Amino acid sequence: MKQVENLMGQVFALVPDCDATRLSLTAAEGYLFSRIDGATPWRLLREMGGIPVDEADSCLSRWVEEGWLDIVSEAPSASSPEANAEQTNAEQADEVQAEPPTPEPPQILEIDESQIDERLDFDVSAQRRILEFEATLGLPYSELLDVPRGSEPNVIKRAYFKLSKEFHPDRYFRREIGSHAERLERIFKKILEAYEMLSDPDLCQVENQRTVAPCPEPSPEPTPEAPKPLTKLERLQQRMPFKIDQAVFASRREKAKEIFRAAERSMEAGRLVAAEASIRIAISFDPGRAEFKEALGSLRIRAAGSRATKLLAAPSERMSGGELREALKLLEDVLIYRPHDPELNDRAARVCLQLGEFNLAMGYVETLLERTPDVAAHHTLLGRIYREQNDLAAAVSAFEAALKLDEEDLDARRALASVRIGERNAARGGTA
Amino acid sequence: MSRVIGIDLGTTNSCVAIIENGQPMVIPNSGGYKTTPSMFGISQDGKRLVGHLAKRQAITNARNTISASKRLIGRRFDDPEVQKTIDLSPFEIVRGPNEDPRIKAGGKIFTCPEISGIILREMKRVAEEYLGETVREAVITVPAHFNDTQRQCTKDAGKIAGLDVLRIINEPTAAALAYGMNRAGEEKIAVYDLGGGTFDISILDISDGVVEVLATSGNTFLGGEDFDRRIVQHLVEWFEETEGVDLRGDTMALQRLKDAAEKGKCDLSMREVVEINLPFIASDAEGPRHLNYELTRENLENLVRDVIEGTIKCVEQCCVDADVRPDDIDQIVLVGGQSRMPLVQRRVMEFFGKRPHKGVNPDEVVGLGAAIQAAALLDSENDMLLLDVTPLSLGIGTFGGHFARLIERNTTVPVSKGHVFTTTRDDQSAVKIRVLQGESDIASENDLLGEFVLSGIPSAPKGEPEVEVSFDIDANGIVSVSARDLATGKEQSITVSSTGTLSDTEIDEIIEEHDLYEVQLRT
Repeated sequence: MKQVENLMGQVFALVPDCDATRLSLTAAEGYLFSRIDGATPWRLLREMGGIPVDEADSCLSRWVEEGWLDIVSEAPSASSPEANAEQTNAEQADEVQAEPPTPEPPQILEIDESQIDERLDFDVSAQRRILEFEATLGLPYSELLDVPRGSEPNVIKRAYFKLSKEFHPDRYFRREIGSHAERLERIFKKILEAYEMLSDPDLCQVENQRTVAPCPEPSPEPTPEAPKPLTKLERLQQRMPFKIDQAVFASRREKAKEIFRAAERSMEAGRLVAAEASIRIAISFDPGRAEFKEALGSLRIRAAGSRATKLLAAPSERMSGGELREALKLLEDVLIYRPHDPELNDRAARVCLQLGEFNLAMGYVETLLERTPDVAAHHTLLGRIYREQNDLAAAVSAFEAALKLDEEDLDARRALASVRIGERNAARGGTA
Repeated sequence: MSRVIGIDLGTTNSCVAIIENGQPMVIPNSGGYKTTPSMFGISQDGKRLVGHLAKRQAITNARNTISASKRLIGRRFDDPEVQKTIDLSPFEIVRGPNEDPRIKAGGKIFTCPEISGIILREMKRVAEEYLGETVREAVITVPAHFNDTQRQCTKDAGKIAGLDVLRIINEPTAAALAYGMNRAGEEKIAVYDLGGGTFDISILDISDGVVEVLATSGNTFLGGEDFDRRIVQHLVEWFEETEGVDLRGDTMALQRLKDAAEKGKCDLSMREVVEINLPFIASDAEGPRHLNYELTRENLENLVRDVIEGTIKCVEQCCVDADVRPDDIDQIVLVGGQSRMPLVQRRVMEFFGKRPHKGVNPDEVVGLGAAIQAAALLDSENDMLLLDVTPLSLGIGTFGGHFARLIERNTTVPVSKGHVFTTTRDDQSAVKIRVLQGESDIASENDLLGEFVLSGIPSAPKGEPEVEVSFDIDANGIVSVSARDLATGKEQSITVSSTGTLSDTEIDEIIEEHDLYEVQLRT
């Protein structure tokens, strides 16, 4: 226990110039080690998982002893709310506070304009509407559906139908709408939840207490009357062999917020891998929170983007076979997040061509041509693939298509000439 | 963009529809009929026949003519309903390598998705002939009570037919879409769908182009064919009594009886009495025997009364599920050929206290609805929206073999739901999450969709660890399940990919074989 007292409430940082490669760690220990960023407090570190808390403690104290870690006695910004919370919580050991969170005042969030993508098959104003509506998902149910509190079931249903018509994922069935697909699912689930809660008088009451009076007076004992028919909620509870404990959810939401703040700090410091891990944990603690998933998505896109820039900077012509394979794998990873990026597809196609993976190359070129059929270079690339596959007729027509689009495409002209010369020679050889 | 079709793949008849100039319409086949029998046969000389051609030769070639394969699709061979069908079918049903029922015809063994695929391909061909262009995409309907496997098998059948199946929707829901299109105002409707092989009842809310399913209920093994069977059984017994000849072993006689029963039953919807006249039905030492029987409407009603009462029980259950009183229903839409029977109409009317709606054709309305849903999905101009529901409850198996529902049946999708579970032993380090689908409170009576283990739970007394299990169903009905240890944040999850009774390779093989066959036909 002494060991734990020493660690309690501390914040750890790697010693400067720490060469972690000399450490030998298990996967779980390595995970814990990777979480040490000079900002995450002890209590969060040990709760983050993968490793039992006592083992985490012993690891931490060992690393401090062995000189890998410095103890930063206070979090970087001592006045920040989480540092205070940290201290009060530390005094109570690892007992989790089970108070419901005070409801946040409704606030309209700024929308993130960068999420609007003009290349999508999707009206920009509709995209804006989705982002704006998403920003209001934290509002009380009745405000979300824009109906007065205590409205008639018919009014609530009409509002729900109206929003469904706008936001149901089927409205954009099989259309290229990028990250908005997830957003729509989230929005629809939320309006469905609002509709279900508001149209059930009993659930509605719970909701009103949650949003209107955080600490309601205990209602007087109901006088015994003739037995009422069971409400939907009661029927559900009877059928469910378990109870929903709101307090548990509330404390987990708080925890998620703390972890997310740590992630934001990591992100600011440019530690993307650590930030991603933290956000994942935050999501696992509070899966309903759109903000976290949003952050994870944009983080992944950001990471993919920076990797893509690096990849595109290195010319593939000078790479060895192994390096090409490696590059292709990385490209494929990045393409998951940016499947239609023309440069990436072009690069991937060229790498595949070099590797002799003609079918794969063809796939990427098809994506290119589907999106931008009017770029000559893409047709030239297509022609080259056909030529490699010895389908000369198809190659010629692809090159011709390229030249039709851009008469000055020297690549295409040269390739076309060489195919024609090859054909002529073959013809001569045949007659001779 | 190529056209997308809606197909009502029925037990006895199928129907294909499209949207033409904003209006849904049924496409007639080359014989001018708006519905095509869901039959497939192999003639004596090895020709493959589908639809009316198959039906025409069914009497002389009963052993090699397959009908009502929809009753078998997606079921296990040992399923009592499959066993019942085996006893009643003139064709041979054998046990397949995946424990699935397969059908023998023309010396070859066919899987059920393959048979449905052949019929879907025929419907696709009917549409292509009419439109003069290739059709690739379709919405297909299934009975509301089909489970995941049955739906997946129907999707596989679509694949075998060369169709990209955009969505599988429920037959009563499709009917409601067709009814609700271009109707203003708000209505609660009940769709009573008594088809050839299945019975479904759904209660829906319609308001300005949005169709919300409130509840659905039914029986996958109850339909018009049961009526025919009752008549056949009655005739066989009567014939044995009066003539002393047992027709049960004579497949050709049984097929003739079945045909006559079906025709007689339909005629009795308009008339009070029909004559069933089958000359030379059998012969023995005393020469040929003829069957001549007068079947009255009252006669028929007595034979099938309990079947109809069974459907009314389902209707009651559905009203309870939807939290709707019978007199809250504004309209009753009757679907399926069997709903034409006067006794059915009378009982439905008595139950709801009002006359059923007359404006839709019970044979075509489902196909029309499928086409409307296809257009609603792909055409951004189309304003209809279907708020569909999960047909069966989803949950996990818990201690003591109980089934804990996390998503109740009739829940609108997409949806996510989660609950916290705990351990049952001290220092239990892992929990097994068994994902189940069904309505029984006993875990083992439901279908297992998948399972996984969440391990690494820190030691604690039983009841202390908290494991949150979350279910997520997306708009396409794909279910994913995750379990998370709240203390450590450790998580495990699976996407429940519903599987049919065929593997992907088997499907590819079948497609290849049928493609070869197509080539053979044309050369």
